[in-house]
Amino acid sequence: MALLSRVADRVHWGARYIERAEDTARVLRAFGDLYVDFPVAAGLTWGPLVAITGEAPIVSDSADRGEREVLHRLIADASNPGSIIAAVEAARENLRTTREVMPREAWLAINQIARLARDEAPRAVGRRNRDWFLTRVIEISRRLDGVLESTMTRDPAWHMWRLGRLVERADMTTRVLGVRAASLLRPAESLGADLADVQWMGVLRSLSALQMYQRAVRGPIEAGDVMRFLLFHEGFPRSVRSCLVGIQSEVLALPDPREVLEAVGDALAALDACDPEASDGWAIDADMDRLQVSLVALDRAIISRYFTW
Amino acid sequence: MDERFAPDGTARRSSAILSELLDGIGAEGLEERQRAAEAEILTMGITFTVYSDGDNIDRAWPFDVIPRIIDGSEWDGVEAGLVQRLRALNAFIDDLYNDQRIIADGVFPAELLADSANYRPECRGVHPAHGVWAHISGSDLVRHDDGQFYVLEDNLRVPSGVSYMLENRAVTKRVFPDLFERQSIRPVDNYTDELNRLLVSIAPGAKRNPQVAVLTPGVFNSAYFEHSFLAQRMGAELVEGDDLVVGVDGVVSMRTIEGLAPVDVIYRRIDDLFLDPEVFRSDSLIGVPGLMRAWREGTVAIANAPGAGVADDKVVYAWVPDIIRYYTGDEPLIPNVPTWRCMYADERRHVLDNLRELVVKPANESGGYGIVIGDRADDATLRECAAAIEADPRNWVAQPILALSTVPTIVGDGEIGQRHVDLRPFILTGERSFVTPGGLTRVALPEGSLVVNSSQGGGSKDTWVVDVEGGGA
Repeated sequence: MALLSRVADRVHWGARYIERAEDTARVLRAFGDLYVDFPVAAGLTWGPLVAITGEAPIVSDSADRGEREVLHRLIADASNPGSIIAAVEAARENLRTTREVMPREAWLAINQIARLARDEAPRAVGRRNRDWFLTRVIEISRRLDGVLESTMTRDPAWHMWRLGRLVERADMTTRVLGVRAASLLRPAESLGADLADVQWMGVLRSLSALQMYQRAVRGPIEAGDVMRFLLFHEGFPRSVRSCLVGIQSEVLALPDPREVLEAVGDALAALDACDPEASDGWAIDADMDRLQVSLVALDRAIISRYFTW
Repeated sequence: MDERFAPDGTARRSSAILSELLDGIGAEGLEERQRAAEAEILTMGITFTVYSDGDNIDRAWPFDVIPRIIDGSEWDGVEAGLVQRLRALNAFIDDLYNDQRIIADGVFPAELLADSANYRPECRGVHPAHGVWAHISGSDLVRHDDGQFYVLEDNLRVPSGVSYMLENRAVTKRVFPDLFERQSIRPVDNYTDELNRLLVSIAPGAKRNPQVAVLTPGVFNSAYFEHSFLAQRMGAELVEGDDLVVGVDGVVSMRTIEGLAPVDVIYRRIDDLFLDPEVFRSDSLIGVPGLMRAWREGTVAIANAPGAGVADDKVVYAWVPDIIRYYTGDEPLIPNVPTWRCMYADERRHVLDNLRELVVKPANESGGYGIVIGDRADDATLRECAAAIEADPRNWVAQPILALSTVPTIVGDGEIGQRHVDLRPFILTGERSFVTPGGLTRVALPEGSLVVNSSQGGGSKDTWVVDVEGGGA
């Protein structure tokens, strides 16, 4: 089955955007939980979270206002390409233009999530409907992959879809760790040891990794172990290594992938150079930067090999 | 004509099913099904585009849940008439681009061809497979007070609507699953299969597994939904002009992640003039340079063939009964609507004297644009219309204002009113012919309105060709 370059591009981005929506929903759901647990005096704020979409943190004079503002930006603000509503719309637009290669059921799922986002996103900014909304986003995104898993031929379009999912997921894990690094850099948030643990727990929960971490590590939550788990664990599907290894095998299934494989190799090398024991924010920040740069280079390699002529 | 009740107030035989539906579930039940259908349409992503609609490039498809019923025995006659009509029109197009016997024999005026906006001299001498140029067509039918179906116009270029016909059925099946069990409603689902069969059959060199591609102008086109739908249903590639390239060897290929892959058959949904900037409009950004060369050399088949539109101009329409007689030797099975041709002084006189009682149509517009309905137009519009006719008589025809038939339609909260409808069946012509049972019923939603176009406030209905036990009409 030949796959048009233009269609490959759209399938890949359809997958990236829906993964972005799902991952953002996971992060927000986890952070909401964490926020409720935190003593007010600890000064935990939503502001820095905006950084996961690559924007400057929002600084607000009131915590409540900050919460609404950040959640509006990340859930319902169509002008922010990192918001859930914008990511869902972009995913739908990409799938609308690739219907001939994707199973029909996938199209129904994407319409369902788009309707949900259009109808409910504005109301999900407040606390009452938020958790329900975020959970629906995650569920439909997962169902979409379930449909593909069980009904789609393993043709180039399938591998392109998988590739998009994994690239975005790897990217999100590094961004969440980057935000954690940034918070370590702020003296106002140099919290007591207990609260620091809670924050690392928040990182694990943001990536839906807490339970699997606990099973794998069987010990308390410690910075080094968390970093090691989220960066290097070979079996956990959201660890950077697991994503990169997955990317490698998807790329191998595509025609003539030499240059893209090289870029995957570079990203794996950047990963190996990360120091899980680095406990200060600067070191983590620098490691995550390098990883993100290598993911951008990987993206460029995919674009130049498969989407352009 | 009221399609549900005869003038004496009794329900027509085929509409028993409708009575069961309407009386059985009540106003509330009907409203509920209408809402279910609308939700289904959103989930199924059935959309269409209105160019004037700003950013909203895909709108939910307007659909009325009450099906329109046509008696199977009546439909058989319509079907035979459409097959006959399209056979004759294809013979006509093939003749115009080759021997022009019909002109030599004095049946069709040479000057009409010379003035035709849709005649493409670039297509002279080409012999497409089976002598067919208009493979996919949609003829608009209306039912007059006499109960007779008339052909209002033929669409031989890139007729659209078939995907909505299919989706309307899919929605109705989900909303009224119970009805389908107990009735003999002719299925419409095999259309895409028949279309695929037809497209494969015209591949050059009788290739066994030819690559079929649907060529779309792109995601902003009003019929993009349909292009995508058809490609999906046929397992064909959906390509834009940029995806295709014509090599020096005349082979048409598409750009894939594995390099160039040959394309054998193109179902194009782009107008002739945009197909190939080397031959037609050089500013076309959606076409494929060299495509006409490849087609003329026979390395690729194109459906509908370039130039097929020469036979769907509204002036040529007036000659279709003669065309049918000329090529088939038979009388037309479905009548034309009487049509006055403004190019002839006597007929023009009649039109200008009776503008109020007529529908005046420009020859080469589609989508209902440019049409003036005499009894609804103000004086200024009629004066402009008369001036336009005088200025370019060849470009105008006029027809009596038909009383389109009416069918029950939801007009408010569970309220049912009578609304006017037309019907667009789709006809496939290749080695053999295929007609969709029924077609796309379009309904004019405002009370009394005769404008059914979805771009101008029209809605749609599922159309059931029902075989009633006992047969006969």
